[in-house]
Amino acid sequence: MFSLKPAKPTFKSYLLPQVEDKITPEPKIKKLEPVLLPGEIVVNEVNFVRKCIATDTSQYDLWGKLVCSNFKISFITDDPMPLQKFHYKNLLLGEHDVPLTCIEQVVTVNDTKRKQKVLGPNQKLKFNPTELIIYCKDFRIVRFRFDEAGPESAKKVCLAVAHYSQPTDLQLLFAFEYVGKKYHNPATVNGIDPGGGGSGSGQQTPLFETYSDWDREIKRTGASEWRVCSVNEGYMISTCLPEYFVVPSSLADQDLKLYSYSFIGRRMPLWCWNHSNGSALVRMANIKDVLQQRKIDQRICNAITRSHPQRSDVLKSDLDKCLPNIQEIQAAFIKLKQLCVNEPFDETEEKWLSSLENTHWLEYVRSFLKHSAELVYMLDSKHVSVVLQEDEGRDLSCFVASLIQVMLDPYFRTIVGFQSLIQKEWVMAGYQFLDRCNHLKRADKESPLFLMFLDSIWQLLEQYPSAFEFSETYLTILYDSTRISLFGTFLFNCPHQRVKQSTEFAISKNIQLGDEKGLKFPSVWDWSLQFTRRDRMLFHNPWYIGKSASCVQNGSVKSFKRTKKNYSSTLRGIPPSLKNGIINEQEFLPRRNSLILKLKPDFLQQMDSQTNSMEQYFREWFSKPVDLHGVILPRLSGTHIKLWKLCYFRWVPEAQINNGGFITAFHKISVLTDQVDMLNQSLRQYKSSSSLQANCSELDQSRMYFRANGLNDTAGTPDFLSSSFPFSPIGNLCRRSILGTPLSKFLSGAKIWLSTETLANED
Amino acid sequence: VRNQQTLDKEVIYVCPFNGAVKGRLYVTNYRLYLRSVEIDPVVILDVPLGVIARIEKMGGASSRGENSYGLDITCKDMRNLRFALKQEGHSRRDIFEILTKHAFPQSHNLPFFAFVNEEKFAENGWMVYNPMSEYRRQRLPNEQWRVTFINEHYGLCDTYPSLLVVPYNATDDDLKKVAAFRSRNRIPVLSWIHPENQAVVMRSSQPLVGMSGKRNKDDERYLDIIRDANGQISKLTIYDARPSVNAVANKATGGGYEGDDAYPNAELFFLDIHNIHVMRESLKKLKDIVYPNVEESHWLSSLESTHWLEHIKLVLTGAIQVADKVSSGKSSVLVHCSDGWDRTAQLTSLAMLMLDSYYRTIVGFEVLVQKEWISFGHKFASRIGHGDKNHADADRSPIFLQFIDCVWQMSKQFPTAFEFNEQFLITILDHLYSCRFGTFLYSCESVREKEKVTERTLSLWSLINSEKAKHTNPFYTKELNRALYPVASMRHLELWVNYYIRWNPRIRQQQPNPVEQRYMELLALRDDYMRRLEELQITNNSKISNSSTSSASPSQMMSHVQTHF
Repeated sequence: MFSLKPAKPTFKSYLLPQVEDKITPEPKIKKLEPVLLPGEIVVNEVNFVRKCIATDTSQYDLWGKLVCSNFKISFITDDPMPLQKFHYKNLLLGEHDVPLTCIEQVVTVNDTKRKQKVLGPNQKLKFNPTELIIYCKDFRIVRFRFDEAGPESAKKVCLAVAHYSQPTDLQLLFAFEYVGKKYHNPATVNGIDPGGGGSGSGQQTPLFETYSDWDREIKRTGASEWRVCSVNEGYMISTCLPEYFVVPSSLADQDLKLYSYSFIGRRMPLWCWNHSNGSALVRMANIKDVLQQRKIDQRICNAITRSHPQRSDVLKSDLDKCLPNIQEIQAAFIKLKQLCVNEPFDETEEKWLSSLENTHWLEYVRSFLKHSAELVYMLDSKHVSVVLQEDEGRDLSCFVASLIQVMLDPYFRTIVGFQSLIQKEWVMAGYQFLDRCNHLKRADKESPLFLMFLDSIWQLLEQYPSAFEFSETYLTILYDSTRISLFGTFLFNCPHQRVKQSTEFAISKNIQLGDEKGLKFPSVWDWSLQFTRRDRMLFHNPWYIGKSASCVQNGSVKSFKRTKKNYSSTLRGIPPSLKNGIINEQEFLPRRNSLILKLKPDFLQQMDSQTNSMEQYFREWFSKPVDLHGVILPRLSGTHIKLWKLCYFRWVPEAQINNGGFITAFHKISVLTDQVDMLNQSLRQYKSSSSLQANCSELDQSRMYFRANGLNDTAGTPDFLSSSFPFSPIGNLCRRSILGTPLSKFLSGAKIWLSTETLANED
Repeated sequence: VRNQQTLDKEVIYVCPFNGAVKGRLYVTNYRLYLRSVEIDPVVILDVPLGVIARIEKMGGASSRGENSYGLDITCKDMRNLRFALKQEGHSRRDIFEILTKHAFPQSHNLPFFAFVNEEKFAENGWMVYNPMSEYRRQRLPNEQWRVTFINEHYGLCDTYPSLLVVPYNATDDDLKKVAAFRSRNRIPVLSWIHPENQAVVMRSSQPLVGMSGKRNKDDERYLDIIRDANGQISKLTIYDARPSVNAVANKATGGGYEGDDAYPNAELFFLDIHNIHVMRESLKKLKDIVYPNVEESHWLSSLESTHWLEHIKLVLTGAIQVADKVSSGKSSVLVHCSDGWDRTAQLTSLAMLMLDSYYRTIVGFEVLVQKEWISFGHKFASRIGHGDKNHADADRSPIFLQFIDCVWQMSKQFPTAFEFNEQFLITILDHLYSCRFGTFLYSCESVREKEKVTERTLSLWSLINSEKAKHTNPFYTKELNRALYPVASMRHLELWVNYYIRWNPRIRQQQPNPVEQRYMELLALRDDYMRRLEELQITNNSKISNSSTSSASPSQMMSHVQTHF
């Protein structure tokens, strides 16, 4: 269902928006005008369209106008959303809008002629469609009907959607038009904030585009034997590396330049992170030059060893050999999507667990977590530096490098830290977002590696709910943001591509770039572009225990200092009778070929004792109370790796728990946190009554989306909460309506209908 | 707990997770207690003898190999215990005999431990359930429903409680006639009435239709009176918990179901819930994949092949239909299976839990268990096999466990809707087997009365209600009259790891639950801040009254906060 025919080459520039022969405008329809962004133009539109809410009834359907622009398809209606609605609003998109880059497949149907066609770009349509079904990359399925609409206009809109959602050239993506407009009219709109969301969120996310960001990261991690290297300034060496990156201090620029020729894509080793014990995490591409391989390998490893205060060994992990590849991950994803939204809900129930297992999705998530945890052991306990090696070093390395750092460094579990990690290990390191997200519809390179990474983070969040500053809503919205072609963050295959393509674009549009290297695109980390301040509160995890958070121990309040001794000693603790729990041998045995130790052959012989000591390391770690500001390790048993329901089920009406779900507890703790903040505020005001006026405004600054109504608020669960919150499945999946009809009709499993028949036959 | 220590012996505990542990084993008339020696940290085993299902000797005097001679104990709570002893001098004989005697007192003409237990609690759990007050809470009797004492001496039905609620328009004589047509005289009686629409949940056993398709005018009329009682024109909905095939098969043994011809004003649905034997086998399969080691290579498909969650789903689905029919469909409902004490109890109690928020409180849930399970004759004695050595008894089945699992599934889907927490449910299950309390002993009220259970034993609710904080869900939000429909889909049903796999230290989830823990910390923090603020306000107020100059005093600022004090 989701397979796409390869897109045929098409003309490069868009047609001018056509003036539609409008149906006699009714006063009611007249005001249904789309909200357009700078640079956004309406390509085609059709009136009297019905958006289908349920497949089994049209009673909830909405009437309105369907508009295709160069950014989105927009359905504009006056009808209120029936039954339930979204509880957050994307400032860039209306409630019924779908960004073009989120469209997976466009299907037109003529039900009287019983015809159906999957529309590619630049195609003809021989029938007048009665129905348009949009399959979205975020698992939604949106359906429109044209029974009352002008047939020609309907057809044109369908063709426009198909065409504009499947561009073949990067510069046709809306972000270029948007940014171009901003450069042309810098006065009328706010200048683009290319930074990491400084406006509004208070703290800037380092983007690692500059020398100083890397330098600060070296200092933050205490990597004294490493330096920022500028040899790639202007992308002189590699077009898929960032301009600045970090290398062992002992390697001179000249050597690096020389060595770079031997690496695939000239992608020489990149430093990722340093442990406080001195061991480093490094990633690099394979060495393609067989003759030079040994020599270069030796030199690089020597340099890494030299950068280690204890001159420790280097462990090389060949990721291609021990982890699923991007095609396998894509195949798993397609199966998962098929299972979650495409197949009939009831029919998949009986074999749900084995079907889920057969997608391999959870198995792959587990393998990434497991491999990363094994490397965490090497860095943390064995004090060896780890080199992640992968063919090009642009896919699995991004995933594993990030996961290791999230487990080891609490900074990356904060919002800003996590964003900087994605900048550092994905955006700057050349993860091919353009190809992997398939913004240009070349299906063969598509792979949801980034989603699987977010899924792994969700697994950790699920296991350690107090260890992360962000919520699962944040992770879900971050995934959705990869499908909005406005942000430079997820648009390109590497930083150089942005510079090259946008410079070309600027020249063609007569934009003066001045000293700038290419156009500046808005960053996804500037969340104020998408959400109001209040909606962004949903990103905050109310369970998070920040560094400065207070906590009560035995009734007395203590402020936590970052000492491991007193931290979170109130959290967990296993009854003495179970304290000597052990880790299953199989659990953490490394795959032999996944860990290749270099340099010291005798190290290899210690492999068996290595395995034992790794086991010991995990066993000890799990027997101790968790230090939320230290290392966290995943639990990896089949019972611990779960399906991320919010992300995959949010559009499925049958799977929605009304008035329930984890969000109800989230609501409850948010209100309590708000009360604690209020009290804390009052206490501080008492203590500094002189600065009373200055503090006044702080009272309104709650961190929480759900606020307390004073201290007596007993916080009843609001009616609108559901397991899909803040999303809503209503109208987002072509499914039977589940509300408004007797509940029993939708109960699956009990074959009551069959049984009644059986009974009838019986009599 | 009055413990008579009867044995003290050095053994090796062959722990499947930690390997062999040397320790001292103590056996009393209540428990088996082992404390490790020579290892740190200390390993402790504390097992009430009631959980023991089976004790086997392993190895013989001539067995070779380390730890091959000893005892293998199968427990009812998803674990096995293995002790190795020295082969010399029949060292296991005394321990085997003492364990057997106290683990299976019924097979040795000994009383249950509950009858010698001399514990004292602050609360008296036997006061929790009073049928009359519970019916009054439901605003019964009313114009349509009356309380009858016809079963006061268990003359009508020996497995029913003495107090029953029946339609006002049915005489005691009618009830006797209906009893003749219902398996084991378990006539349709009221379990719950909807406070607004007056639709009711009724329970009974199957009608005695038999192969010849017998009819009974009194039963037919009785069901029509029930249908009529809430003044709705709709049909009476009958939910037969069984798969239709089983219901048909029951005709051969004199049972059956309400046919269309005989009951034109009723609509019958089968809910496809399997019988006690299927459930027992399913749990056995589940144990195989989780104990001692969790089947890792194909966890999800292994779990699927046990069908345990599928059965949970069917029970929940059935209960949702009952609840929805009563609440949205405004139609009265009759639930039955064959005898009306297993699947019927599951369905009525779960439906009531969905419909009535009172049952989601700690005391309300205790009432629910007391009423729908204990008083209406769920055969705890034979389903659990209290004190009985016959471990292979075909009457044993985890029906009540399955019910508690369904409750747990609901509490997972609605984290704020239940006053009790997971620990509460686990405590109930632990004492379902322990025989420390009289609560679950015997199969019906008539026998319990004969054995003077309430006078001679303690109630489990005494223990729980004396330490309520431990069993309270911090996220509980009191709500009235909201029907709660869980999603009975495999997508949401989970294996209850903290119960079924709790003996495996590697799998057990973090304790205490970090989500709850953080909330408790914040609650303590809030209280502390409030106390400090109050103190400051007192000192400040005295200052203000002294100087009275400041125009914007902090107490004015914080007026909205002050309301609390």
